Amino acid sequence: MITFNDIQIKFGDFHAIKNLNLHIEEGEFFTFLGPSGCGKTTILRGLVGFINPTSGQIRLRDKDITHVPIEKRGIGMVFQSYALFPTMNVYENIAFGMRVKKASKEEIDREVRDIARKVDLKEDQLFKKVSELSGGQQQRVAIARALILKPSILALDEPLSNLDAKLRVQLRNELKSLQKKFGITTIYVTHDQEEALTLSDRIAVFNNGIVEQVDTPEQVYNQSKTEFVCNFIGDINKIDRQMIQNSRLKDAIDPNKIAYIRNEKVSLHPLPGADAVQLKGTIADQEFYGLYSKYVIEVAGGGELKTIEKESGFARHNVGDEIDIYIKTSDILQY
Amino acid sequence: MIAIKTKKRLTSVNPTSLALYGLIAWFVVAFLIYPNINIYYEIFFKDGNFSLEAAEKLLSSERAMRSLYNSFILAVSLVFTVNIVGVALVLISEYFDIKGAKILRLGYFTTLIYSGVVLVSGYKFVYGETGFMTKLLVGLFPAFDPTWFHGYWAVLFVMTFACTSNHVLFLSNAIRKIDFQTVEAAKNMCASTFYILWRVVLPVLKPTMFALTILIFLTGLAATSAPLILGGAEFQTITPMILTFSNSVSSRDLAALLALILGLATLVLLTIMIRFERKGNFMSVSKVKSEMVKQKINNRFGNIAAHIAAYCLFLLYIIPVVLIVVFSFTDAHSISTATLSLGSFSLSNYMTVFSDMSAFKPYLVSIVYAAAASVTVVALALAASRILHKYKNKWTFALEYSLLIPWMLPSTLIAIGLIVTFNTPRFIIGNSILVGTVWMLFLAYVIVHIPFTLRMVKASFFSLDGNLEDAAKNLGAKTFYTFRKVLLPIILPSTLAVLALNFNGILADYDLTVFLYHPLYQPLGIVIKNSTDTQALADTKALTLVYSVILMIMSAITLYLVYGRKSRV
Repeated sequence: MITFNDIQIKFGDFHAIKNLNLHIEEGEFFTFLGPSGCGKTTILRGLVGFINPTSGQIRLRDKDITHVPIEKRGIGMVFQSYALFPTMNVYENIAFGMRVKKASKEEIDREVRDIARKVDLKEDQLFKKVSELSGGQQQRVAIARALILKPSILALDEPLSNLDAKLRVQLRNELKSLQKKFGITTIYVTHDQEEALTLSDRIAVFNNGIVEQVDTPEQVYNQSKTEFVCNFIGDINKIDRQMIQNSRLKDAIDPNKIAYIRNEKVSLHPLPGADAVQLKGTIADQEFYGLYSKYVIEVAGGGELKTIEKESGFARHNVGDEIDIYIKTSDILQY
Repeated sequence: MIAIKTKKRLTSVNPTSLALYGLIAWFVVAFLIYPNINIYYEIFFKDGNFSLEAAEKLLSSERAMRSLYNSFILAVSLVFTVNIVGVALVLISEYFDIKGAKILRLGYFTTLIYSGVVLVSGYKFVYGETGFMTKLLVGLFPAFDPTWFHGYWAVLFVMTFACTSNHVLFLSNAIRKIDFQTVEAAKNMCASTFYILWRVVLPVLKPTMFALTILIFLTGLAATSAPLILGGAEFQTITPMILTFSNSVSSRDLAALLALILGLATLVLLTIMIRFERKGNFMSVSKVKSEMVKQKINNRFGNIAAHIAAYCLFLLYIIPVVLIVVFSFTDAHSISTATLSLGSFSLSNYMTVFSDMSAFKPYLVSIVYAAAASVTVVALALAASRILHKYKNKWTFALEYSLLIPWMLPSTLIAIGLIVTFNTPRFIIGNSILVGTVWMLFLAYVIVHIPFTLRMVKASFFSLDGNLEDAAKNLGAKTFYTFRKVLLPIILPSTLAVLALNFNGILADYDLTVFLYHPLYQPLGIVIKNSTDTQALADTKALTLVYSVILMIMSAITLYLVYGRKSRV
């Protein structure tokens, strides 16, 4: 549906996007993930039409839209701040796009009420000031305003970043169900890996203007293709060289590469399979999180490993306890 | 390549915007840059040759040199008197626990609704030779000289009380922002009330006081209506002298040179002020600020003395206002003899103003000028702010600084610049002459109000969420539609507030008006000043009192709408 061909975006000497090639399928929930300044918002704005690429081509359903004006691209956008017009009420905000298109009053009224119902905005909320709405309601107004013109794509620029943690989780779920309901192709920009993993069909991980990996959330997490991706997504242990030298791990790890293993793949219980390696260590630190405990273990051969263990209300190990650690060589990522 | 780029850029801007940019550029060049450069030419070039004749004339003119000296003396004296009175007012109303402070504050605030020529003429009406207070004083002390109210002391007296508005506004604000915990900490270390005031409170106010001091000095140097109305022959300062010189073609160069000296002094002092402001105010390092609690004066005699001083100041501020209001309801005889009797009260003065066209004309002239100029200046500031908000390049940088030129120049210099430039046909304005037309004053009002308006409007533009414009664009709205439907409604309240303040300021202006007004369309300021002449008719004086009262009411309403309850600016 959307194809980016050799896209480059430069601001003076700064190379914001370097040779981007990407394809997004119809109906997909696609996320641009990366740290701030990596170019994810730039490419989204390029897609919507706020920024002109320095070179390359953006195609939408096989039509070149690289230089098509914003309003003719058919892409609805939800902004980080929602950008709701403060002097207009909810109804007027949602109706704005249709008024610009000079639709008839009856048509506007029908469409506004229809879209409001679909995003679960109540009738009495339509005539409230936008400042009187909760964060969740404001998000729904922003989505309704973007969807009323029936765009073929919905672009969301970090719409949850200004909210507190609890509301973020709640709205994340709402967003997912709305996307399913409308079945619209959605491009979502975020720096929050949890949001990306839970919402997306596929994720593109950005770093310094280039895409490091495009994959499903499971693949990005479990089969990170680059060192940057494995470090950026989730919590991970870098395996110390001394630890490798002094254990059976040296048979499985290329000495010229850097090895990582995810925290949850480090077990305090014996693991099945021929590739399981046993190490010895001492608990150096323990943090209790309620649902699980996090342990930092000093490994006998050198180095440290972190792991987590699900809890049932209390921590099982204490600082100073000597324990056995198990890891499977097939879980080790090497770069 | 460059030509192609420029062409591309120009075609990307729509023709209406291009015309607007052209209009703004023309206005800036024709009225902000050209007259202020031309003034140097008029002073230092005679028939195309460099000449120092104007400077020589100035040095040999005893009157002119005397006026320079008088202005300097007045400015220095005011720095002391205004600071003493201003600080006292603020301490009484904000810092010390004085009984009835709320009412006292109302009295001290009267200069906010009553200033400039209205205030000076009011003081002359009350303290002048036939004034109510002078009569009262002569009655109490028969040896009292009834002609006491003129010259240096009268000017200093009036200006001391007239120029405390900035203290009341800004110093009060600064004192309210003091972290009370610093005062409590000093108390905890056994410091006395006055020691705390001297070592903890006043040092925090120092930057504000410094800025106020410079403003007072500048006000003193450029004083117009007070020396003109009360100075008499013995105490003439620069601006009245410039006015006299500018009325004759042969001495216009002298007027321009004096205005230039005033301008240079302003420029130097404002530069110093900006530099000190940049060095920064004292930032409170408190994590949790606590509100100021008024301080009781523990020393009994000190407390009584402070209360007496507070109420004496209150009387000084309130008496002229009360008497103007009271006498505006009396007949011509009462006004000219400064006597009050029950039988002399009537509404006839007010009825005359609102029923007789010749009496209402000054009002109408001022209202038309004020409305036209304040709407124009706001429109200009909106357009300029939109450009400054949208683009950032060397041209917008030049535009912004050019629009701020009038902020650095006294209005007298701007007026003289316009007079010496547009008294002959000039190509830049289509070879027409502006001097002697009604446009001259309109232009000057617009010019002097640009910096304040631009700063306010620009601030509201820059506080807008940038995504709003993108959101509107994304929904298909064109630039002008977005401006009209999305941006303008958001900045409208603050823009209207600025418009109201400008309107209010222009309505009774005298200092700029006196240089440029059309004799057939005399605005209020001129009429009010003329009524202070000894030969003015009692009926004219009666009308002036009505004008003054209505102006006070209008100012009070404007200030309430702008600053009261929900602040817009």
